[in-house]
Amino acid sequence: MDALHSLFAGFGTAMTPLNLLWALIGVTLGTLVGVLPGIGPALTVALLLPVTAKLPAVSAFIMFAGIYYGGMFGGSTTSILLNTPGESSSIITALEGNKMARRGRAAAALATAAIGSFVAGTIGTVLLTFFAPAIADIAVQIPPSAKFALIMLAFVTISATFGGSPLRGLISLFFGLAIGLIGTDSQSGQARFTLGRPELLDGIDFITVVIGLFAIGETLYVASRFRKTQDVIKLEGGATMNRDDWRRSWKPWLRGTALGFPFGAIPAGGAEIPTFLSYTLEKRLSKHPEEFGKGAIEGVAGPEAANNASAAGVLVPLLTLGLPTSATAAILLAAFQQYGLQPGPLLFLTNADLVWGLIASLYIGNVMLLLLNLPLAPIWARLLLIPRPYLYAGILVFSTVGVYSLNNSVFDLFLLALFGVIGYGMRRFDFPVTPAIIGVVLGPTAESFFRTALQQSNGDATIFLRSPLTVFILLIVLLALVVPPVLRARARRAAPTA
Amino acid sequence: MSDPTPPLSRAPRSGVSVPDLLVALGVTIVGALLLFGAFAIPFGINAVVGPRVFPLIVGGGTLLLGVILTALTLRGDRAEPSAEEDTDPDAPADLSSPGVILGGFLLGSVLLAPLGFVIGTAVMYFSVAFAFGERRYALMTAISLIVALVTYVVFTRGLGLSLPAGVLKGLL
Repeated sequence: MDALHSLFAGFGTAMTPLNLLWALIGVTLGTLVGVLPGIGPALTVALLLPVTAKLPAVSAFIMFAGIYYGGMFGGSTTSILLNTPGESSSIITALEGNKMARRGRAAAALATAAIGSFVAGTIGTVLLTFFAPAIADIAVQIPPSAKFALIMLAFVTISATFGGSPLRGLISLFFGLAIGLIGTDSQSGQARFTLGRPELLDGIDFITVVIGLFAIGETLYVASRFRKTQDVIKLEGGATMNRDDWRRSWKPWLRGTALGFPFGAIPAGGAEIPTFLSYTLEKRLSKHPEEFGKGAIEGVAGPEAANNASAAGVLVPLLTLGLPTSATAAILLAAFQQYGLQPGPLLFLTNADLVWGLIASLYIGNVMLLLLNLPLAPIWARLLLIPRPYLYAGILVFSTVGVYSLNNSVFDLFLLALFGVIGYGMRRFDFPVTPAIIGVVLGPTAESFFRTALQQSNGDATIFLRSPLTVFILLIVLLALVVPPVLRARARRAAPTA
Repeated sequence: MSDPTPPLSRAPRSGVSVPDLLVALGVTIVGALLLFGAFAIPFGINAVVGPRVFPLIVGGGTLLLGVILTALTLRGDRAEPSAEEDTDPDAPADLSSPGVILGGFLLGSVLLAPLGFVIGTAVMYFSVAFAFGERRYALMTAISLIVALVTYVVFTRGLGLSLPAGVLKGLL
């Protein structure tokens, strides 16, 4: 077993006291930002990027992985106790979990979310361990034209399946692509869209875009429609479940995992679809369908597991193909690039210690998160009571540090304000932010594969139709663009009241 | 547009929303400007695919999407503001609060270099807390300065970033 052998070597890397400490810092920070409104794991990794520049790459990524998984655990606390999902994948947890909490079952809801996340995260990591090297082996042989087609697939599925409107998703994507164009063209050295400003010759740092769109945009938007009353449900004691809760939870955990992992691994627009599917499935299979909508534990266990399994699944295309399928994955990709690493099939050969150290740290992080979340649930719940004026003010100051320390330039802060205003507008006018982030990070890579493919064929555009693999992927791209609107239109015709 | 695609938002069709129309026209104009800017990029020498091709695609695509959005908006489509953890979707939008934050942020940015990081970010902190409805001025001032100072010390001493000390140069 080659993968097992590599994994043991990875544990050797991850189990050093210093790396364990970074993993602990990561999962703690991740839980913290998962619980706090206004910031998510994507933003936290972006904020920490300038700060971690001095760390060795392995330690930085072990911490980032902890933040990634931790954010998934922490998000359920907010959904259950505050009834306000921070992201679309937590909608179901907010729906059923908060009803449970209102019936005095907050401890059980938090426990089934945490243990379900642990089960799903661990199984997902096992699958990642064995799938990723196999896919990396195949991926080495993919030609540039197919790589370009794969990026198109990621672009289209992420834009067209996120949120309610494919059109708005695509506009967001093109906005990101346009930002990615700014600066000196890497192949010809030609300046593009710099408006004559020397500050723009290096392009706009994606950290400025991410922090502007997420943190500043969120702060401006929340300020415009601030809800002054917070209805936080009190939690007494740790998160625990009784025998009956266990009996009703374990199957949904496993089914949720089975749904979540593949949806994370294919570029299909993140965790929203599998959580909804898991909820529907549990409702159909349950012996207590009447409890659904009133606080059924299966309705928390399944979707939370699906959510976390998809988070593990997302790492498969990220590590093996360099394809991010969520905002956080896009930032992790950019973080790799900042360390001079290109995620993809070769990463498993050239940086085996990093990849396997990262994967091993996911197992460790999951155990840490379980220990951190069950007994300490009341402490995390307390975070929800932080007065919002001070919380959002703090987020803004940390954002400023993150962006200013990139180049020590006030110009970057003006750019940050500009992206903040755009981020506000995107929330106000229902444009999803994630496609823009993916566009900024992946746009230059897409252009590079596009041009490499055409250079290899001497400018003959039929190169994109010659490889069967490329044609196949481009066909799926076309289907992903056409099918969802058709299905939507048909569903609307069938149920005009929906 | 003869495209029979139904409106994409869930909101009822009742008249054209002016803010939505402005956004749609804005996207269209940005697309046109991108396309115009792309034509200004030289072809590039010795390159099969020059630096101009991809910007042309991005500009043209944005223009096309902007035109579609404008057409849908004119047919009554409108965006539904997103619901966040701390927002009340039914509350009327209050634009003065984001204005205060933005003003405080820009003022703090300008003051950052001459007066130093601590004072610059304290101004930002204060303006956000004010915009979110906090009115205990003495407490806000104290917390703003403490947060800014602690952040400065942690990031410069602990993590080795260089941030401008400004007027507090001798003290820190």
